Amino acid sequence: MSTLIAHSSILIIAVTLATAFLTPLVGIASKRARNTLIVLALAFVAFLVVALARDVMLNQIHVYTLGAAAPDLTIPGGAIVPVRIILEVDGLSAFMGIVIAIVSLVAVIYSMSALKTETGQNGFYTLLLLMAAGMFGMVFTGDLFNLFVFLEITSISGAALIAFRTKFADSQEGGFKYIVVSAVASLMILFAIGLLYSQYNLLNIGALAATMEYTMLDRIALVILMSAFVMKLGGVPLHMWLSDTYSVAPASIPALLIVASQASLYALLRTSFTLYGVTLDQSVAGWIIIIVGLLSMFVGVTMAILQTDITRLIAYNCVCESGFMLVGLGVGLAVLADPGALDAFGTMAMNGAVFHMINHALFEGLLFLVAGAIFYRIGTRDLNQMCGLGHTMKLTSVLFLLGALASAGIPPFNGFASKILIYESVYQFNPILTMIGILVSILTLAVFMKVFFSAFTGASLPRYRDVREVPRPMVAAMIVLAAGIIFFGLFPGLVLDWIVQPATDALVNQGAYIDAIMGAVP
Amino acid sequence: MSLLIEAGYEFWNPIIWLIAFAVLMALVFLFRKRGQAKYKKDTDQTRIFLCGEEVPEAEQRYVRGGNVYWGFFETLKEYYNGVVRPHTGVVNDYVIWFVAVTAISAIVLFIVELAR
Repeated sequence: MSTLIAHSSILIIAVTLATAFLTPLVGIASKRARNTLIVLALAFVAFLVVALARDVMLNQIHVYTLGAAAPDLTIPGGAIVPVRIILEVDGLSAFMGIVIAIVSLVAVIYSMSALKTETGQNGFYTLLLLMAAGMFGMVFTGDLFNLFVFLEITSISGAALIAFRTKFADSQEGGFKYIVVSAVASLMILFAIGLLYSQYNLLNIGALAATMEYTMLDRIALVILMSAFVMKLGGVPLHMWLSDTYSVAPASIPALLIVASQASLYALLRTSFTLYGVTLDQSVAGWIIIIVGLLSMFVGVTMAILQTDITRLIAYNCVCESGFMLVGLGVGLAVLADPGALDAFGTMAMNGAVFHMINHALFEGLLFLVAGAIFYRIGTRDLNQMCGLGHTMKLTSVLFLLGALASAGIPPFNGFASKILIYESVYQFNPILTMIGILVSILTLAVFMKVFFSAFTGASLPRYRDVREVPRPMVAAMIVLAAGIIFFGLFPGLVLDWIVQPATDALVNQGAYIDAIMGAVP
Repeated sequence: MSLLIEAGYEFWNPIIWLIAFAVLMALVFLFRKRGQAKYKKDTDQTRIFLCGEEVPEAEQRYVRGGNVYWGFFETLKEYYNGVVRPHTGVVNDYVIWFVAVTAISAIVLFIVELAR
């Protein structure tokens, strides 16, 4: 078991990648065998992620050096800097790994029924697994160039998945927009990495952080990296692509796209907290993130309430929820250099934001799956065409209500647990931020009451009388996410202690991340 | 096993909330049981009465999603005119926004640096 854990970080990426390339081969022989292979592979990956996360949270940062005599030999003999590809998994990376593993498995199970009648399924699952591998790589790598490579893998496979249903013109348009936006962001990230490499001859994040001098070029690189990652995560005013793409993807894909956005948020945090860390002007950078967060919350929710397309509405709500995370993390960054404020409320703000990341993936994922279930049965996303679906899709309507209440921060669901941490801590930093947060949560409730009223209540329309619940695998996938929402809502302390607090500690403790790489320097 | 979270001035324990909710639901159920007992399903009691007018078909008598919160949008018309306009759906505009935000962030960072 200890050998398995020692190699787990590379195995997680390698098994997912290998399964991606095996999928079309096995799929030619048998669909059932292909589906079994994918589910078993992702279940094994999920097991590895949990084992790795447990090891990281109980022991220390996990380092894996590719091609070295021993995985933890980060700097070869005779060298003074790390030169090989190194994976570095700390509390935050492990936390993100758990989110990716859960959502990928759920998305696959849901897709097996939802896309049963579609052609090109071998390609679909290959792309889905490539996207998962890309996201695992993004959060596990300790190297800036590999971060760029994995971001590209995630973006290209994501664009192809959005455009997967070629019979819909808007899917093609959505895929095109996603790849253009992603390519621009990726190229700018590559340019910023080039700026850093030209000065330090380093690509390893820990080694770069140890030598960072915060020169003019470093500042330019910082601005470019932050803008590019904010665009990839869909922060206002760089969010406009998000509703155009999430709304046209096959039902299970927006759930994965949410996690891909969170991987970009992870990269933003890794850049600001770990790469720049103490050299950064934290209060200015923190306030920039807070302002982007506030704009995302307010513009996201007010645009959501206007929509009549259910998936566009949920996509705008994603922008809004990202705002909550950004505000919490921005407050943490703004007070990073002030130990008193960090202890009093900064850590709690980051706890709330990190906790909200996994909660957001669960409830927003569930809402997209429910929207997909509605589309699967009635063939439209237009709320103006819906009415009284609750008569025939009782379970789906209950699951929607669960996701909606969690998103609006209604107790006892998971959204409340993370939002109360953000409200309470941010209030001590600036009460106006909390007031805006509460107002936005009330509007979020109004957004989903509009959907619930329009789609599920009212008289049963004659054309929808024969509509019934979606197939069992789709229901099972939705129930898994719903169970997560309830569990995380009922046991928030447990989740905080086990996975959230170690992630926040990893963010705050830049020195530990650097030492895990540079510790071997004589 | 910790069930609660402590958040600044207060704590949150979902189990206490659930117990309180269950007690409240029990009270609601008791009040409801004391209500009208002569209800009969699928009789004239349950038919829609519209001042003696003919009741339209189900399809014609529901408020569509697009009409919900009409007053809210009418009140905030000015805000919505401003906020909807940049959402053009044109990918070129999205890239222009990216360039603008990057430039503004850089200027802010440098002005703050110069001010110190």
